[in-house]
Amino acid sequence: MGGHNVAEAIVRVDGLSKTYGRLHALEGVGFSIRAGEILGLIGPNGAGKTTLFECVAGLEPADRGDIFFGPVLAGARHRSAKLFYVPDGIVPWPDQPVRWVLEYSLGFFDGRHQMYEKVIADLALAPLMRVPIRALSKGQRKRTLLALGLLAPQPILLIDEPFEGLDLRQSREAAATLRKHLTPDRTFFLSIHQIADAAKVCDRFVLLSGGRVVAEGTLEVLIAFARQRVGDNLPSDLEEVFLALT
Amino acid sequence: MPSRSRAWKWLLKKEWRELLSSHSWWVMLALIGPLVGVSFISAVRSYAEASGQGGTAAGLADALFPLDGVISPTFSAYEIAASFLLPFVAIRAIAGDRTSGALKLELQQGMTPLSMVAAKAMVLGAGWLIAGVPLVLAGILWASYGGSLYAPEIGSLALGHLLNAGIVIALAAAAASLSEHPSTAAILVLAFTVGTWVLSFVAAFQGGIWEQIASYTPSEMLQAFRRGLVRLDLVLAAFALIASSLVLAAVWMRLGLPVGRRATESVAILCVAAVLAFATSFVRSSWDVSENERNSFGASEAAILSKISAPLRIEAHLAPEDPRRFDLEKQTLSKPRRTMPEVTVEYVSGTATGLFEQASEHYGEIWYDLGGKRIVGRATTTDGVLDAIYELAGIQPPQEGGAGHRGHPLAVQPTGAVPLFYIVWPLAVLGLGLFFQRRRFI
Repeated sequence: MGGHNVAEAIVRVDGLSKTYGRLHALEGVGFSIRAGEILGLIGPNGAGKTTLFECVAGLEPADRGDIFFGPVLAGARHRSAKLFYVPDGIVPWPDQPVRWVLEYSLGFFDGRHQMYEKVIADLALAPLMRVPIRALSKGQRKRTLLALGLLAPQPILLIDEPFEGLDLRQSREAAATLRKHLTPDRTFFLSIHQIADAAKVCDRFVLLSGGRVVAEGTLEVLIAFARQRVGDNLPSDLEEVFLALT
Repeated sequence: MPSRSRAWKWLLKKEWRELLSSHSWWVMLALIGPLVGVSFISAVRSYAEASGQGGTAAGLADALFPLDGVISPTFSAYEIAASFLLPFVAIRAIAGDRTSGALKLELQQGMTPLSMVAAKAMVLGAGWLIAGVPLVLAGILWASYGGSLYAPEIGSLALGHLLNAGIVIALAAAAASLSEHPSTAAILVLAFTVGTWVLSFVAAFQGGIWEQIASYTPSEMLQAFRRGLVRLDLVLAAFALIASSLVLAAVWMRLGLPVGRRATESVAILCVAAVLAFATSFVRSSWDVSENERNSFGASEAAILSKISAPLRIEAHLAPEDPRRFDLEKQTLSKPRRTMPEVTVEYVSGTATGLFEQASEHYGEIWYDLGGKRIVGRATTTDGVLDAIYELAGIQPPQEGGAGHRGHPLAVQPTGAVPLFYIVWPLAVLGLGLFFQRRRFI
């Protein structure tokens, strides 16, 4: 398994566990997030990706485990200083138009005002500005949520299923937009169940299966790790690696 | 992170927009006009009849006050609206963010959930004040008919109804925050309302401790304000209930805390609220703001009674459902309680109705004990109780003062009220609603 590079980690998650009754949603999950990277959380449906994001963001209580910002232990209440989490499938402020929602999020969170026009242009939101959130299609809503995230002031952005509901062209454009907004003070942690999408956009990967981290690292590291398990015939493909390790 | 005040302003702005886009608020606004209209029109007509239109008993008209005949009945529309309309508006406002997922985003701002709940409560309070416009229109109409309005009495009623609305909003916030679904929250709030009615019913039947507890339910609390009596204990108890419910709502909005910890904190909040409510029962201050000073003795009587330092103990042999007990408790005893330093009242009865106790030797007796001296009487009127106290204290009753307060009879028909409340108001609300719905998208 790819080891944690603690020296470069701006966030370190250690031993995170969460149960719902008898169901173990997360079991001793540990990984790190490095500054300025796009980290992908890969896993099948039900792997615990959303639970992990909500626990890391402090929106769901974990049973055990710690989260560190650098060397400092970050309590649930203090995580909002550095992390912003964009959930999947939400319809926030459904009666308000896109323009007002974006302006509100800029004002309420004191977001990145200077990027407002750029984000709207990058995500092609201009024609939707007067449309209320509830009237948006799934893909349009996802683009609006991506804009909300990109305008948030926190340096680390957690996005649950950023390409869900987007067509092929939109997925590519969204991936390009995320890459364009990646800066040394902007890090992305994306939960993606479509492995092909993840392979195109992420720098490193955390493979989650059955509530456990089965591997962490770059594609090369994961391939090497998988080949140790199943042999050198394994193709250099993230999907094959994922199937081999989970 | 933005300054707290800047974020707070954005939050208030957002809550206000959410209220303006809430169909439930506009529906409540539209319905409240006809509700006030029904109450006002029937009250004015009844008042006109009692004032002599079509003939009335001699002297009856002179005892009529608009507080009882018109103002209080008109305000009663707001009690209905607070029980059956306002909870849905409040639940929609609180639960909406949870069900839409907006709460998960807003919690990441770092603002305390209590601040977020307070912003919602403030905007809902403002929305409720706007719903008070038909009441102002009713007041203007009444004044235009030549009707008398006494500002302190109206203030007392407005305070009582505002506190009642505050309780409803706070309870709805707590219920919406506690439950996963808005429908469950609505059931919880309605169950509370119905529960207080059941409590009042039990109190009327059983008396005793039930009566004391029931006196703090919103509907019973309003009774005091309807008589023009502002009781500090009721105001403080209402504030305690509002504050504890809002804190409870905030606790359950903290999604990142384990449920067990939230439950423990909730139990602690309920315990603190119970202690505060109990503590308020020892507060005696009250203000009689009624025009005819119906809750007070005359100045000369009050001066004499306030000098009696010995504790007065009253033992009334009257059943809870006996109308004489109601007169004694609600109309008469509030006066010595407000005037004398220590008054304790005990009711004795074997049954709830007293129907089969009438033949009992002591039934109907009211025993007065002042510093060890005891006398018995049967009168439940203010004069009867006063005579007993004077006799016990060995004090000569003061001479009758000047003429008492005379009422304000008015025999008029509610001209213009029907079109105003049944046609103009709903259409105006509909027009404004459509205007704001369109304006949001510009």
